[in-house]
Amino acid sequence: MTAMRKSFVHQPPSVEADATAAARMGLADLSLRPRTGFKGPGTMAWLAGQGLVVGEAANIAYPQSSGLLVAKLAPTEALILGGIDGNEATIDTLDRTWSIDTAAGCYALPRRDTHVWLRVTGSAAPVMFSKICAVDLRAAKFANHTIAQTSVARLNAIVVRDDLGATPAFHLLADSASADYLWRCLIDAMAEFDGAPIDENALHRLL
Amino acid sequence: MTMRLANGAGSLIDREKPVAFTFEGQTIEGLEGDTVASALLANDIWTLSRSFKYHRPRGPLTMAGHDANTLVQLPDEPNVLADRLPIASGLTVKGQNYAGSLARDRRSLIGTVGGFLPVGFYYRSFYKPRGAWKVWEPIVRDFAGLGRVNVDSRHGYYDKQYLFADLAVVGGGPAGLSATLEASRAGLEVILIDEMPAIGGALNFARFVNGHADGLADAVGSDPNIQVLSGATCTGWFADNWLAVVRGNRFYKLRAKQVAVATGAIEQPMVFRNNDLPGVVVGSAAQRLIRLYGVKPGTRAVVVAANADGYGVALDLHDAGVDVAALVDLRHDASPCHFSDQVRDAGIRVVAGHAVSEAHGRDRVTGVTVAAIVGEGDCAPSGERIDCDLLCVSVGYAPAAGLICHTGIKLGYDGDTHMFTAGGTLRDGLMASGSVTGAHALEAALAQGRRAGWAAAKALGANPGAEPAVPNDLGNRGVNHPWPIFPHPKGRDFIDFDEDLTVRDIKNAIADGYSEIELVKRFSTVGMGPSQGRHSALNTARLTAKATGRDVAKVGTTTVRPPLLPEKFAALAGRAFTPERLTPMHYRHKDLGATMMVAGSWWRPAFYGDPASREETIREEALAVRNGVGLIDVSTLGGLEVRGPDAAEFLNRVYTFAYTKQPVGRSRYVLMTDRTGAIVDDGVACRLHDNHFYVTATTGGVDAVYRQMLWWNAQWRLDVDVANVTAAYAGINIAGPYARAVLAPLCDLDLGAEAFPYMGVRTGTVAGVPARLLRVGFVGELGYEIHVPSSCGEVVWDALMAAGAEHGIRPFGVEAQRLLRLEKGHIIVGQDSDGLTHPYEAGMAWAIGRKKPFFVGGRSIEIQMKRGLARKLVGFTLVDPNAPIPEECHLVVRGKEIPGRVTSCSYSPTLEKVIGLAYVAPDQAEIGSEFDIKVDGGRLVKAVVVPLPFYDPDNQRQAM
Repeated sequence: MTAMRKSFVHQPPSVEADATAAARMGLADLSLRPRTGFKGPGTMAWLAGQGLVVGEAANIAYPQSSGLLVAKLAPTEALILGGIDGNEATIDTLDRTWSIDTAAGCYALPRRDTHVWLRVTGSAAPVMFSKICAVDLRAAKFANHTIAQTSVARLNAIVVRDDLGATPAFHLLADSASADYLWRCLIDAMAEFDGAPIDENALHRLL
Repeated sequence: MTMRLANGAGSLIDREKPVAFTFEGQTIEGLEGDTVASALLANDIWTLSRSFKYHRPRGPLTMAGHDANTLVQLPDEPNVLADRLPIASGLTVKGQNYAGSLARDRRSLIGTVGGFLPVGFYYRSFYKPRGAWKVWEPIVRDFAGLGRVNVDSRHGYYDKQYLFADLAVVGGGPAGLSATLEASRAGLEVILIDEMPAIGGALNFARFVNGHADGLADAVGSDPNIQVLSGATCTGWFADNWLAVVRGNRFYKLRAKQVAVATGAIEQPMVFRNNDLPGVVVGSAAQRLIRLYGVKPGTRAVVVAANADGYGVALDLHDAGVDVAALVDLRHDASPCHFSDQVRDAGIRVVAGHAVSEAHGRDRVTGVTVAAIVGEGDCAPSGERIDCDLLCVSVGYAPAAGLICHTGIKLGYDGDTHMFTAGGTLRDGLMASGSVTGAHALEAALAQGRRAGWAAAKALGANPGAEPAVPNDLGNRGVNHPWPIFPHPKGRDFIDFDEDLTVRDIKNAIADGYSEIELVKRFSTVGMGPSQGRHSALNTARLTAKATGRDVAKVGTTTVRPPLLPEKFAALAGRAFTPERLTPMHYRHKDLGATMMVAGSWWRPAFYGDPASREETIREEALAVRNGVGLIDVSTLGGLEVRGPDAAEFLNRVYTFAYTKQPVGRSRYVLMTDRTGAIVDDGVACRLHDNHFYVTATTGGVDAVYRQMLWWNAQWRLDVDVANVTAAYAGINIAGPYARAVLAPLCDLDLGAEAFPYMGVRTGTVAGVPARLLRVGFVGELGYEIHVPSSCGEVVWDALMAAGAEHGIRPFGVEAQRLLRLEKGHIIVGQDSDGLTHPYEAGMAWAIGRKKPFFVGGRSIEIQMKRGLARKLVGFTLVDPNAPIPEECHLVVRGKEIPGRVTSCSYSPTLEKVIGLAYVAPDQAEIGSEFDIKVDGGRLVKAVVVPLPFYDPDNQRQAM
């Protein structure tokens, strides 16, 4: 199954992994990486039962010791992103453990397929976002691990700030069917900042 | 002749960087930092374009980008302000609105008959007899106008950006700078917007009578809390301090917690005969030329003054080497100002109590007549002729209060200072400072700015310290002359340069009964040109007041609306964001040569082949499904997960059918009506678990269905969760007699008719991919709709294509599917229904669960049925098989009545005849009834009602 997965974006990075570009203005496609989601009134209790630690506040992402990032989109909804080092097995375990019969009031969401997952990195990222998103994502106004559920280039999108070391970085998740469109919009918006598509391995160098 | 000053004047230009461009085909040498206008004036070229109505030569008036006299034509863009447009190497510029050449405009002859063309002339003259306007309009439009649009020009790149600030300061003059610094010092994040290339405003060009503001601009520029947007125009204030700002090709949407308006004041022209001649400028224009661009504005000048600024202008000209022939002071008894002694020491002749009654010259001022003022607006009939090539006018200002007016404030008029005032209480979060408030004294403007910055900080909870004091004397007395209007018996005394309106035009409008200022504007068009009354509103109000016996305060001003300056459509449009969705197999379709079509926001294959063979291809694809096996991408169908203990009850209320007893492993048709009973969507509900339905919806309807479901779920508070998973699944429908044979080797399920019957639902794997399989029959053949994770869509598509090769599998597109479903008599919601169609009209009574107590729209349908049917959807064929094929929306006619319309119609290659669906009158709906369809050209084609479905009426093929 995993081997069959394909990126939603049909325009792969055209440059080699470049930490310099990533620090300035980079765009990586993480769509092949694991992610999942759950919603419903029993979601937080069920996630707690799986050992995930999620705080009270919504629209905050909660890093886990396992490397997962639990983005609490609402009091009853969570998006779970695999860490930079993988966590395929951990996410798969969550998906396999979940059952409509046992997870009362908690319903799985196929986030791997509903959403393209992009990583926008670099010091210019907040300014670049201001061309396509009405939320003020500058560092002083949008704290690390804050979530914005907003419109990006007229697409419903989830933006999670999750810095890589000292480099501002954002997870950007949006409709997977619109992945090519979104990718083009981002490449266009990044151009004035010398932004470049980057391989996800470049992300490691920012840590 | 070069007019470039040899000294170091010209803060915006770089003398080391020459730039060449062309104007009217002539190569012009300028310097980097020059505008087109400053470069032309440096070359002593003053005529830039021709006027709107009389084709009079026009040159710069303000050098601030505030007047329409400098509008020029670029190859791809008309109406560009030459005193804003930076020169660039290779730039091609031309004048506007002339026939022949700019220097010898044949149409300037119209000026000689101007006396016969008063305002409103064409209202009266060209509309009679009836229909005459159609003849005259193109002629009038050709004669009168601005630049020409080049429809062949390429689209430029324009985009938009959001900006955020604690305080937005509009105007980078002394008041704006001090407001910016004060707020920044208190910790506020400030954005400063200024229309000029360098901040500083009048500090950069004017001669101030007192005070100093050295270092303000540098302090602003080096402050990390401050973002400076120079060369940017704030074109509008909107609710909640949302500002529209245009800079270059970018449109900024700025949201500020506080806004400080420090937009300054606009120097006003004087009215006298030929006051529009090139070489007649407001005083500040000459100062801008000298100090910003290092251009000597003329060789011999006359200055008309009614305030100290005019004396400063005379001194600046004198210092720049211009021979100042006279300083004409409108005031009889002006008290000396700070510059009076310097003017005297410079040997400049001062003529008090006089005015310029007339300017002389053809394409450039060559002299003026200076005459004694003998009454308000009256000059002595004769005067002294003074030769000059420059006339500078400094007689007063109007506040640049447009942004303040956008907030709902109306300008008032102060009879003591003779100024418009931005009176009234400004709304919370908005402040004004500087000369826009009448604070013309530098110290007052600086102090007001500091107080605005302080007030913004205080309002936002900062601790800005003690409130800055503001002097009582704003320096607003003795600035504006009360009546700088000197009508001339021979006319050409222009009030509004944009529209070529003279004093007589305004008086005539009032005499015609248009005595209110809004009516004067609408009848005469004063203030409706590109400069939007910046130089005409004040004098028009004065004229109207005098003509109607009121004071100016009573006359008031017209309503000021955004935008302050013309905005290009391109700027408003910005970079277009038009989301488009691709199915997981999109690139497979492209590889297969599909002709794609738009379906909502999706791209879908219409058919696979060249558009030139469209009809043939569609028929072949349809026959492949009927006789072999076909494959269609149905990923665009909506997918909704409805889960929870109340899932069945929820569907029971949302859809017309009954679902509480639907077995797991079965699907059931869903039909959604709105509260009026009209059909809004359809699909199938697949019960995967007692508490889990997977519901499909139409491609275009799923988002609305999802919203409706969330809304009703919030209302009913059932224990159910709804999720839109449309993008999560790739949908592939394999259909045709060989469908089972192709699918079986790839699937781990028993696909036999008993194990997996028609309308069954199963979960299994296809090509190793987890899949939901639905046996549905939209096209009327044995078929399986396979839903797999979208990231695996290409894999499954490829596997099916490979497995089907031996059976001649053929992909088919939307068009063939439409034909196939028509043969089965299935409706397409939105095509075979409209916003009023209820289920009984569409022949879908079978889809209504009559025993359940409620569903959305049920009550409305009951009421409609009691009224009786008004139309009915029927299947038809043509009586004459050779008749023209009707098209969708061709009308069903009966005498003078239109009982209905065709909703679908096509030639069926399987049935070898034309088939269609149409709404007809109920009494026409019986099988065998004939009715007429009016096709293209008005011909009536006779159709006959036949039973549905057209194909396989016993539904045996889909249930194989």
